[in-house]
Amino acid sequence: MMALAFDVVLAALLILAALAAVAGRGLFRAVIFFIVYGVLVALAWARLGAVDVALAEAAIGAGLTGVLLLAAHGRLRREGLEADPGAGGQGFAAIGGAGVALALGWAWFALPEPATATRAALDSALPDAGVGNPVTAVLLNFRSFDTLLESIVLLAALVALWMLARDGAWGERLGLPQHARPGGVLASFGRVLPPLGLLFGAFLVWSGADDNGGAFQGGTVLAASLLLAMMAGLYLPPRIGERLWQSALVLGPVVFIACGLVGALVWGGFLVLPPAYAKGVILAIETGLTISIAATLALLVIGPPEQAHNSGGAA
Amino acid sequence: MNEWLHFVGIVLLISLAGALWRVWRGPSAADRMMAAQLIGTSGVGLMLVVAALGNWAVLLAALTLAVLAGLSVVGFVKARSSDGAGDPEEAAPPPLGSLRE
Repeated sequence: MMALAFDVVLAALLILAALAAVAGRGLFRAVIFFIVYGVLVALAWARLGAVDVALAEAAIGAGLTGVLLLAAHGRLRREGLEADPGAGGQGFAAIGGAGVALALGWAWFALPEPATATRAALDSALPDAGVGNPVTAVLLNFRSFDTLLESIVLLAALVALWMLARDGAWGERLGLPQHARPGGVLASFGRVLPPLGLLFGAFLVWSGADDNGGAFQGGTVLAASLLLAMMAGLYLPPRIGERLWQSALVLGPVVFIACGLVGALVWGGFLVLPPAYAKGVILAIETGLTISIAATLALLVIGPPEQAHNSGGAA
Repeated sequence: MNEWLHFVGIVLLISLAGALWRVWRGPSAADRMMAAQLIGTSGVGLMLVVAALGNWAVLLAALTLAVLAGLSVVGFVKARSSDGAGDPEEAAPPPLGSLRE
């Protein structure tokens, strides 16, 4: 009885937050409701027992996307473009949102019910996967081709973002020149949190092999730590051509493809993993992917290079 | 025990709803942002309740939320500074320095 009441209240708040984000007036309010919505969705996933998804949602939805949207809103405000989209724009967004919701609902009902056959196949194959977490097993062993392509998509997104840079700013450091009062709250926060985030992010990757966690969740936490150090002005963002950063960005896909080629040459197929080596190879791929995901996400949020670095810092 | 935990969860959700109302009403941007932080904190509490209901792995999600919820405040403060990359403390006269002199 109480359990049902809990779920009903949670679902009601979730719908309210979603409606408020779409239907309310004011961009800033919509942004905040979107962040809040991320927290509630993470809760809902946790409640459903999907801890890996809850982790990803908490890290991406409540963490990184919030920073991204707040920065975008701040930019609009500074440039005097902070206007409501108007009834037409909102109607368009509402129709688009409703369309996505309907398509997802249809996909849900079109799923074979119940999915026990898939689950049984997964359970029987899991001992050969090398890892105990079924999500990691699917992502990095049974369906690793998809994951490889996804890791390249992330890189392509960063390249697309850099294309937005103006010619004159190309050689500059990425993003705006960040600064903070030395010894102030922000600078101190930027010193205290990143070490904890580093520890926790690395733990999430390690834990992802046999329990919950994984490269994506861990990489996101690492990206957030890096971002915080950059935003506190303690760590300068790189320029586009810096070798170390370029290596970090491509490390994951390179290790992934190399492992796939070894599989093709030695084990009889691209991305084939024999059970005896599976755990080692998966951990190597996950480590490479984590570094690339952390670097890519942090640089995506920091943004393309901006001219402002040249013209005298704190304007 | 489970009934009791669910009850605690509902109470937390109701307090979270209060913060949701504050996000809706504002009126200032800081009001909404701080309410969002309150919701983040309630979210950590709710994750702990869900963890105690039998899925202790949810503690990881609670930790993630606890580590990252503060990041959006940093984003907010940055976005509100004059050049989008500053720190409101820079604008204020340094109180400690003036005391020392």
